[in-house]
Amino acid sequence: MANDQVGSLILDNISKIFPQRDGQGEVRAVDDVSLAIYEGEFLTLLGPSGCGKTTTLRLISGFEMPSAGRILLDGKDISHRPPNKRDMAMVFQSYALFPHMTVFNNIAYGLRVQHVSRSEIKARVEKVLDLMSLPTLGERRPNELSGGQQQRVALARSLVVEPRVLLFDEPLSNLDAKLRVQMRSEIRNIQRRLNITSVYVTHDQVEAMALSDRVVVMNEGKIAQLGAPEEIYRHPQSRFVADFIGRANFLPVTVDSVTGERADITLLGQNMSSALTFDASAGNRLTAVLRPEALLLKNDPDLKQATVKQAMYLGASSEYIVDVDGQELIVVESDPSAEQIFREGQSVGISFVPETVHLLTQ
Amino acid sequence: MNNLIRGRPIAEFRRIIQDPVLFIGLILVVVFIIVAILSPIYMMVEESLTEKGQELFDRYLNSPVYRTIIRNTLEMGLIVAALGTTLGFLLAYIQVKVDVPFKRLMHITYLVPIISPPFAVATAVLLLFGRNGMISRGWFGIRYDIYGLDGLSLVLTLSYFTVAYMNLKGMMQALDPALDEAATNLGANKFRIFRTVTVPMLIPGIAGSFLLLFVEAIADLGNPLVMGGNYEVLSTRIYVSIVGLYNTTAAAVLSVILLVPSLLVFMVQRYWISRTSVVSVTGKPTGTPQQITHPLVRWLLFGAGLFVSLFILLIYGTIFAGAFTKILNINNDLTLDHFDFVINGYGSEAMKDTTKLAAIATPVAGLLGMVIAFLVVRKRFMGRAALDFATMLGIAVPGTIIGIGYLLVFNRPNEITLPLLGTITLIPKLTGGRAIFGGAGAIVLVFIVRSVPAALRSGVAALSQIDPSIEEASISLGADNIGTFRRITLPLIRPAFFSGLVYAFARSMTTISAIIFLTTSRTKIMTHQILNEVENGRYGNAFAYCVILIGIVLVAIVILSVAVGTTTGAEKTMEGGA
Ligand SMILES: Nc1ncnc2c1ncn2[C@@H]1O[C@H](COP(=O)(O)OP(=O)(O)OP(=O)(O)O)[C@@H](O)[C@H]1O
Ligand SMILES: [Mg+2]
Repeated sequence: MANDQVGSLILDNISKIFPQRDGQGEVRAVDDVSLAIYEGEFLTLLGPSGCGKTTTLRLISGFEMPSAGRILLDGKDISHRPPNKRDMAMVFQSYALFPHMTVFNNIAYGLRVQHVSRSEIKARVEKVLDLMSLPTLGERRPNELSGGQQQRVALARSLVVEPRVLLFDEPLSNLDAKLRVQMRSEIRNIQRRLNITSVYVTHDQVEAMALSDRVVVMNEGKIAQLGAPEEIYRHPQSRFVADFIGRANFLPVTVDSVTGERADITLLGQNMSSALTFDASAGNRLTAVLRPEALLLKNDPDLKQATVKQAMYLGASSEYIVDVDGQELIVVESDPSAEQIFREGQSVGISFVPETVHLLTQ
Repeated sequence: MNNLIRGRPIAEFRRIIQDPVLFIGLILVVVFIIVAILSPIYMMVEESLTEKGQELFDRYLNSPVYRTIIRNTLEMGLIVAALGTTLGFLLAYIQVKVDVPFKRLMHITYLVPIISPPFAVATAVLLLFGRNGMISRGWFGIRYDIYGLDGLSLVLTLSYFTVAYMNLKGMMQALDPALDEAATNLGANKFRIFRTVTVPMLIPGIAGSFLLLFVEAIADLGNPLVMGGNYEVLSTRIYVSIVGLYNTTAAAVLSVILLVPSLLVFMVQRYWISRTSVVSVTGKPTGTPQQITHPLVRWLLFGAGLFVSLFILLIYGTIFAGAFTKILNINNDLTLDHFDFVINGYGSEAMKDTTKLAAIATPVAGLLGMVIAFLVVRKRFMGRAALDFATMLGIAVPGTIIGIGYLLVFNRPNEITLPLLGTITLIPKLTGGRAIFGGAGAIVLVFIVRSVPAALRSGVAALSQIDPSIEEASISLGADNIGTFRRITLPLIRPAFFSGLVYAFARSMTTISAIIFLTTSRTKIMTHQILNEVENGRYGNAFAYCVILIGIVLVAIVILSVAVGTTTGAEKTMEGGA
């Protein structure tokens, strides 16, 4: 698979400053971002709206020029190379199919630009149509295709030129939920099979987790955290990341004592120790991150007691908002069997899985 | 940090330089604008500011005669703008919101004045409604003196309302019908919707049409020459100064006086209206507009729409009848003499020359319009807005002014003397001769200058409709800017390109004010010949010229639609496929 651990596409202290649209002041859309993307890797840029994901992708593709910093591909500085000379193909949110061309001609477009021979074009387009399970649609026009088919054609059109890097800007956001899940796994499978280095922009964290080798969480033009999906979910480095990736409860805790790399704390009436990723000493006030599914509810008078403020039955799971000492916590119970359903107003014991607790400085 | 922002347009500029073909395109466009638009205007203003010119300014602005002329000009402009906009609005409203018979046919008649050779409408109206008019005298027995403001307002409104009509019709169709539906839901009746939703939403379109018609009306030369009578306006005075008095300075001074309101209106149009027009044109209106069903209102509107159609048919019918009869209304014997005169006789040279020069100008103007539109909409560089502005000056500035400017600039070779190289001819003398570089060049250039703005606007409108990521997709697949323009952009804006070409040809064939000073005995232009015939009272010949001119334009439209195509190819299969 991926990762020979040599960055093949490198962003080196990249910044992009736009003048504000009203002409007053400026927007730091991308703020001093450094990033190494490995050969064959699937990397996702994830973040809230306006955090600079699209701008970063457009800097990579060459549609925007960096205000500062360099972009390197295989060790060569490509910062000022025009986008059509970068050997990267982009899949757009709006698909951007050429409306006046047939599916076949859309896909053949990049090959014709490269002056590939007619017979080879035919063979390669047919191969990729097959790969995308679109074999009979070659003569249709884009406006005669469904959204999912258009998306496939857009992907096929980029794949057929065998680019060095594939770029995606929220390609699935115009599809309905079911199709999105299906296309997601198709994209993943094809990327694995062809082993094309890919950078993917999305604001959907589930999509990011499902697709990526590594995820870059961005906030206000900066990288908030970079890591494998599991790493980011388990060990968010900030409240922002913890909150943005999945849902999280934040509980204030005080360090009782520190032994080696671990801190002893008291959480919801339970004594426990948790790994430290930063320096701390006894008496420090920290924040504990507890995922909703790590909290457990049980009719047990020996446990810390919580009051159910709101109960939502969702079929495969139940969600509760409970009140513990004046703080509201979200709890997700994934096996809502009959005796495990709690009613609003009811008092219930609360506990948690100690291994899942993650500490933050604030 | 601040210099980073300032550095940005420079970075964009560097990107443009990196694409040499695009860079050359930009240079050519800039040279064109400087040589063909800015320098003539500059020269004319300079001429007006000479010592002699300043004296004339003093004299004109203080003389009662000239004050009346200025007041007449503005008065006529305002009346025509108001009448034309109202008429355009009414007809557009009928087309979009009222269910009446013969809609499509009426629509076509409203488009006819686009190809109106100057003098044709005015002369026909004179024959019908003048002192000996077939209708005024013949039917009603009145000797009506139509010369003056009333006749002028009529013919100018008739010649120019189509602009307002098309503008407003487009806007009305783009208005989201959901607005009407929402207002209806809230309990408003049709008239209330008209008053509180339709009209306010169209204010930018109404104001834009008004200003456009104002500029067109005060710049018009042909109609006041025929219809003005004692009612003198600036454009006719300018004409007399040059053609009658050979006083270029006086013409330049009067031109500057005419230029002031034109430019003022043009700037208001650009900076005020374009800023405030946050119309919710959603692009994809859902549902169909609510129709007016009240029987009385419906039939009244139908009557009005039909009346305008019939009136236009009457005018053009008169032109045809006049071309095929000896002397219409006096000797109604059918004859082909007038056509013989134009086709085989004295007029054949003008016919061929005009068509040839217009045919040279048309593709240049159409392509130039699309290229400038592309640069303006898609590229970010310093002076983008200035490029658009300067191009639009070609039509915002009255044609007489362009014509005089051209006389001043191109009536001699433009030379530059360099230290070592000696004298180099930058631009040869472009006026006077018949060959392009022998002299007809100025006329071709005027045709182009007057046509590019319309092509630019339709190009801009079309381009703004196209998702820029479609072009980016092409570039990301390896195509360069020119390849992308040729394979993706141009096909997608083909309808705009086509209408730009049609407009350019029609405008070139019918323009008079800008080229009347540039024609000589060696370059004959049809519109100028028509004026000669009208002035000598040979209406039959004039009408034959007009009919032939209209015929040439129609043939050109057919040729263009075959050669260029009127569709993008994206819509074709919508009917055929699926
Ligand atoms: N061409 C531009 N001119 C001025 N500001 C811009 C431009 N493009 C982006 N911005 C600004 O830069 C910031 C980042 O924009 P960007 O499009 O990269 O966000 P994003 O993360 O892709 O958001 P979304 O999820 O909404 O697509 C925003 O504040 C945006 O308004
Ligand atoms: Mg985005």
